[in-house]
Amino acid sequence: MVILAIAFILVGLFFLVVAAIGTLRLPDVFTRSHAVSLTDSLGAFCVLFGLSLYQGFGINMLKILVVLGLLFLLNPVIAHATLRAAYRVGVKPKAEEDA
Amino acid sequence: MKSSFPKQFMAKGLALFGVWLVLSGRYDLFHLIIGFIVACGVAWLNTGYSHAAFQQFPWVRSVLYVPWLFLRIVQSSLHLTKLILTRSLPIHPKLISYRSHLQHQGAIVLLANSVTLTPGTITVELNGNHLLVHAIDEVAAEDLTSGRMERKIAGVFQQEAKR
Repeated sequence: MVILAIAFILVGLFFLVVAAIGTLRLPDVFTRSHAVSLTDSLGAFCVLFGLSLYQGFGINMLKILVVLGLLFLLNPVIAHATLRAAYRVGVKPKAEEDA
Repeated sequence: MKSSFPKQFMAKGLALFGVWLVLSGRYDLFHLIIGFIVACGVAWLNTGYSHAAFQQFPWVRSVLYVPWLFLRIVQSSLHLTKLILTRSLPIHPKLISYRSHLQHQGAIVLLANSVTLTPGTITVELNGNHLLVHAIDEVAAEDLTSGRMERKIAGVFQQEAKR
């Protein structure tokens, strides 16, 4: 159980590092937010899931899973709000319009 | 079928009380009563406001949609990881304007949320059934442009999505 938990946490950390590298390397707001969305989908998922395994079955595991559920509901909203604000203010993505 | 006030109030109150029970983790009388009062109060404040998106929402069948979405999230995460770690950074960002055929408001919200949750694609604007999606490259956008994701959601909503 503990080994599985550590494995999950390490995989999660790997994705968090990749997301950080992506945030630095990608050129504009729009592409950078893709890298950030990588953080919450796999990075935070693996880390939190690993932590909940480490805790074992019990109230703490449930708490972490609730946080995980909320994260999955809230993160797309935040990403969407940020990008919509940027788009409406007039930040142009480095991209071609496509029908 | 619009759910009545008491039914809606009960459902919301119970859900909130459940969250309280899990997050507080204390089961003495004091905390239970406080939690019950707060849950009822918040539920009471929020009842009556029911967005069209939540009416007739197929909660049970949408649970079956989650594993598929999760699999897609993992796949596109790996794709995005590969893109970021490639030295030449081979991205082709583009804005895709997409017109959905889904009828139900909740279905469109679910589609927009799924698109945003999947790494590599983010919904920028949502206007009626018209989505403006920013994608990092063709491969990431394929699920949407091929209509695969929309068909999956139409399956969840069955009769409402036909036409």
